[in-house]
Amino acid sequence: MEETDKIRVPMREQTAEDRVKNFDSVPLGYYEEEAMAEAQRCIRCKDPACETKCPVNMKIRAMIEKIAEGRFKEAFLIAKEDNPIPAISGRVCPQEDQCEGVCTMGKKADAINIGKLGAFLGDWAMRNGVTEELHIEARDKKVAVIGSGPAGISCAVDLRKLGYQVTLFEALHVAGGVLQYGIPAFRLPKDIVDYELSYLQKIGVDVRLNHIVGQNVMFDELCREFDAIFIGTGAGAPRFLKIEGEELMGVYSANEFLIRVNLMKAYDFPEHDTPIVCGARVGVIGAGNVAMDAARCAVRLGAKEVYILYRRTKRESPAREEELQHALEEGVIFVELVNPTRLLGSEDGWVKGIELSRMKLGEPDSSGRPRPVKIEGSEFIVELDTVVNALGTVPNRLFLDRTPELETTSWGGIKVDENLMTNIEGVFAGGDSTSGGATVIQALGEGRTAAASIPDYLSGR
Amino acid sequence: MTHRITRKEDLNAMDYLIEVEAPMVAERFQPGNFAVLISVPQGERIPMSIQKVEDGKITMFIKRLGKTSIELDCFEVGDSLESVIGPFGNPPEVKRYGNVVFASDLVCGHAENYALCKALQKIEGNHVISIQTFPTKDDVYPTEELSEAVCDEYYLTTLDGSQGIKGHYNNLLKDLLEEGKVDIVFAGGDIPALRDLAKLTEPYDVPTIVTVRQIMIDATGMCGSCRVFVDGEMKLTCIDGPMFDARKLDFKDIINRLSMFKKREGEAMEYYKSKTGAK
Repeated sequence: MEETDKIRVPMREQTAEDRVKNFDSVPLGYYEEEAMAEAQRCIRCKDPACETKCPVNMKIRAMIEKIAEGRFKEAFLIAKEDNPIPAISGRVCPQEDQCEGVCTMGKKADAINIGKLGAFLGDWAMRNGVTEELHIEARDKKVAVIGSGPAGISCAVDLRKLGYQVTLFEALHVAGGVLQYGIPAFRLPKDIVDYELSYLQKIGVDVRLNHIVGQNVMFDELCREFDAIFIGTGAGAPRFLKIEGEELMGVYSANEFLIRVNLMKAYDFPEHDTPIVCGARVGVIGAGNVAMDAARCAVRLGAKEVYILYRRTKRESPAREEELQHALEEGVIFVELVNPTRLLGSEDGWVKGIELSRMKLGEPDSSGRPRPVKIEGSEFIVELDTVVNALGTVPNRLFLDRTPELETTSWGGIKVDENLMTNIEGVFAGGDSTSGGATVIQALGEGRTAAASIPDYLSGR
Repeated sequence: MTHRITRKEDLNAMDYLIEVEAPMVAERFQPGNFAVLISVPQGERIPMSIQKVEDGKITMFIKRLGKTSIELDCFEVGDSLESVIGPFGNPPEVKRYGNVVFASDLVCGHAENYALCKALQKIEGNHVISIQTFPTKDDVYPTEELSEAVCDEYYLTTLDGSQGIKGHYNNLLKDLLEEGKVDIVFAGGDIPALRDLAKLTEPYDVPTIVTVRQIMIDATGMCGSCRVFVDGEMKLTCIDGPMFDARKLDFKDIINRLSMFKKREGEAMEYYKSKTGAK
């Protein structure tokens, strides 16, 4: 192997200094010749592990082969066969744990930059107006898909391609779920999300916004009206710390912080109406992707010091490598081995600090990661004026409370069998509503699995 | 879906009503539900009490207070809003309560007063008493928008005594409680007055249910912005409320949190004025 082939074609990105002043995309994308050069590094394994490891089993080898030859349209159509939103997944997948993590090249050199090549194709197709030419043979069975996040999108697209009449119900005023409200524009530009989602309508999915199943549409109505249902309602409700001081002003759930910034575009206040108050010293509790997103938003909103407060160490952080790296480059300070014990407030009701305990790592717990153990008497106080709680999310009880007939697990997720069917005949579920907090691509994968099971159910197999 | 304004009228110098096409909200409305409005594409999502529904239209009472309500006031009959979503919330059961009072002293409370009295009055065995408080006679709403027509016993009070009974609804309620003619109190409006109400009814052991206005975004339980503490337990106004047992609420926290974006609201107003020349 030539020495130069060992190294990835780097993707241009905004410098840390520039990007903290805006919400524009950090990576700037590959030029065509850069994408070709990166694709040409692929050694075309006989049994590509990247494809097996991909939750939607994209035909990565064939896709990269076409990119290497500069046949971008063909490459795009190959990507699109298994993945309805390549421009999105290419940006937000944890590739280092999936395709790129098992890339043969990665054993001796840099793994192929599969994620960025996927994003390149999605962007290329958008720029050049290239779409699939589908010939959909209509079937009369009707399927309702609840939730327009990644799981709902892939389920709706696959079923529609098979000819079913698909109606997609979304609670918010825009479609996309976590892609809209959760992931910031500097990681996932919203014009790309809008474009990828416009595909749903193009292929004839009936998208109904502002329809909140369990609130203004009842689940049993859907059961009567549709032949099958897929629930992809995600895990959209915040978990709180349950410590003293959570009522204080300046304390946000990561959901609220990100919904304000991403969905409602508070970063563009007052041009957009929804405000946000972000202080000079911000503490973000947790160290996953959501925590990194919140911390990086805080930097861009003008905070002077932004801390990630984590009870384990950087090494155990569940965040994507790239997000953690980007956050650190942008000046986010990672405080390891601390756990919040209470929030301190001022006379007028604003948060003014956080009390933390020092932790040490103990024996591995059920997740395989070392269990953080409190060091008694180690409490100390950090002054903060904004606290963002990014402890993870749980399925939204608005829907679940009003569908008591649906069986759930002890932590509130929806129970499903190996075909992703729930305890109710003809009702399927997938994505974060069944798995808790996972990734966009896993949700896409489960949407596809359900879309493969539903036709069997509908034809009585 | 278009949300065309079909009627818009002043209620007093500060408050106005707006009737808008919202068939889905209208069809599924229960008294005590609220709607979420988005006036323009860049607009915020604001929760709004509903006074009544009729033929696929809903009527809301709005106070000219912040940027959005001032902007909405510039809309005319025939114009369309970006979105009218809902209904939201987990309203109280409409059932037989006996002697039931609904008291209100502010725009959103007056809307709920009307909606709930109208529904409760239809239940046999209820004697519905409505009390509405306004600062002065100049602030009193047009008669047809008051709850007088939808209750069995009606009291209008003004703080300065210029019309009806002098004082706040809490003053009048004390007398009604003393007479022992109240089985349950519902109320909505100014939060400090609701806190006083909770204290007022306690010695009489009369159940007291109040509407909490809290800052919301999605109104579906996602953001947690509208969290309140009920007997120390966190509840969400959007999906658990907006009506709660007044004696279990932490009012100090509610009042504090309502002021979280005060400064920003002022900035939004200034920006809007400078952009449009609005006063």
